[in-house]
Amino acid sequence: MKQLSILIKRNVKLFFKDKGMFFTSLITPAILLVLYVTFLGNIYKDSFLNAINGFAVVKDKLINGCVGGQLISSILAVSCITVAFCSNMLMVQDKANNTINDLLIAPVKPQMLALSYFIATEISTLIICYISTTICLGYIAIVGWYISFVEILLILLDVFLLSMMGTAISSIINFFLTTQGQISAVGSIISAGYGFISGAYMPISSFPLGLQKVIMFLPGTYGTSLLRNHALNGVFNEMSNSGFPIDAVNNIKNSVDCNLYFFSKQVPIFVMYIVLICAVLLFLGIYILLNVLKFKKSK
Amino acid sequence: MENIIEIENLNKSFKDVLAVNNVSFKVKKGQLFAFLGVNGAGKSTTINIICGNIKKDSGRVFVNGYDLDTQLFDIKSKIGVVFQNSVLDKSLTVLDNLRSRASLYKIYNDEFLKRVKELAQLLDFEHLLNRTVNKLSGGERRRVDIARSLIHNPEILILDEPTTGLDPQSRKTLWNVISNLRKSQNLTVFLTTHYMEEASDADYVVILDSGKIVANGTPLELKNFYTGDYITLYGVDLQQVQKITDDFTVVNGGYKILVPNTKIATQLIIKYPEIFVDYEIVKGKMDDVFLAVTGKKIMENNQK
Repeated sequence: MKQLSILIKRNVKLFFKDKGMFFTSLITPAILLVLYVTFLGNIYKDSFLNAINGFAVVKDKLINGCVGGQLISSILAVSCITVAFCSNMLMVQDKANNTINDLLIAPVKPQMLALSYFIATEISTLIICYISTTICLGYIAIVGWYISFVEILLILLDVFLLSMMGTAISSIINFFLTTQGQISAVGSIISAGYGFISGAYMPISSFPLGLQKVIMFLPGTYGTSLLRNHALNGVFNEMSNSGFPIDAVNNIKNSVDCNLYFFSKQVPIFVMYIVLICAVLLFLGIYILLNVLKFKKSK
Repeated sequence: MENIIEIENLNKSFKDVLAVNNVSFKVKKGQLFAFLGVNGAGKSTTINIICGNIKKDSGRVFVNGYDLDTQLFDIKSKIGVVFQNSVLDKSLTVLDNLRSRASLYKIYNDEFLKRVKELAQLLDFEHLLNRTVNKLSGGERRRVDIARSLIHNPEILILDEPTTGLDPQSRKTLWNVISNLRKSQNLTVFLTTHYMEEASDADYVVILDSGKIVANGTPLELKNFYTGDYITLYGVDLQQVQKITDDFTVVNGGYKILVPNTKIATQLIIKYPEIFVDYEIVKGKMDDVFLAVTGKKIMENNQK
């Protein structure tokens, strides 16, 4: 355990001291923030008001709480994945600059190193994402707070599960990478692409139907939806309490991906958790299998 | 003296390239063993096989009596490696680097601090412990690399071109350190280098070419077998030199003659005492041995 903890500490320190890796991991959340500040926030406000369609008088606090909820859930949903990918690049960097030879020259099991990369990535990702969560909640407190204590705990759980999934997927992909060029390519693709497919840049409901069906097969979608639900549940309760028609609230839920439909069938929240947990276990299993097979081959 | 490394009929191919071709040699305990060859000769491949980083195709490798096929971890705990390029974590401090590497050998806490203190005194880097590696000079970094390779008290130190890129002063310091380590700890040093003067200080030399051993022996044996002696005559004129031979080279202030061996040189001295008043006789250099054996000049084009 002592060996593992020292290796984890090394990996975490290296990530936070490598400004390139650290700031790359924040690119996607930064893009998202700029998009919301410049135009996405206004678009959501307008679509929200259209959905209300004059049924009720809406307080600014409620509108801001709703838009803010979308913003923070999007930021957290992408951060959990992109930060995990960037943090886990250390595994590839060690291969690219031959540090791995220096580590494996010692009588240490390769599985121990693999585990240290995995746990370090999860820790680094959680540190950044939980700090982001705190900042996001602070922002919501300023613009319009409707989140309960239980929902805060659930958001923390969602962040944990999504970051676990990000760590597991990045571990599988990085397992096959060996060069700096590959690090840059994969980093760019993930940073640029994940925001779209997770529904963080644009709600999935605004995508063409065919694409929506494909996206429903991606486990990250359910993670994003869980965060949306927990960030916006208080807002929706307030709407209902304020006399908003159920259909109007449901329309808003549909438009911001709180309600997900798998081939027209609505996916309940507990099923979203099951999908996410199963995805984490599946990807983790694949990563373990890859390491076991590699170890056997090297023997 | 017992053998600490024994390699028997080692083979390794990378696709169509035969990198190591039926290589066999032995390294005695406490020896400074030099492995010479140009780039691609198979030196690093052999080292990587010994360390367990590359799988061999066939052959046997024994280190300190341990069989590579079945006792890899025992072997790993006996060897320390200084790689050609420093592979320490550049953004971490020297102490953090040594801590993470020591943990690989399960050296922690007080045991670790004690060992670091010993090494820092031995290699003179106590003042660098809290400095990040990327702020160290080439020579300082090399000293820390050596400390890392010795963190677990290995019996064999493998140096893969350790002085490449270092200034002469740092090279000298490094060799003083290694020499002291050999004396004080009876450390076996397995060296690959392209500095021939370093190889000429070795106890035993193996020359590798295209994956095969093409020559081996002590530097003296190799020099005696593959090169002659150089006589340089001073204070003589051209006619006097021509009495001895027409095959000579004019050097700064004298004439240089190549003779097959020291015996012939002695005979010439006896035969021409009036010419041999101011002279020097030196054996051929390892460069000449390498050139004679492989037909390649190792230092030219900055090749290994």
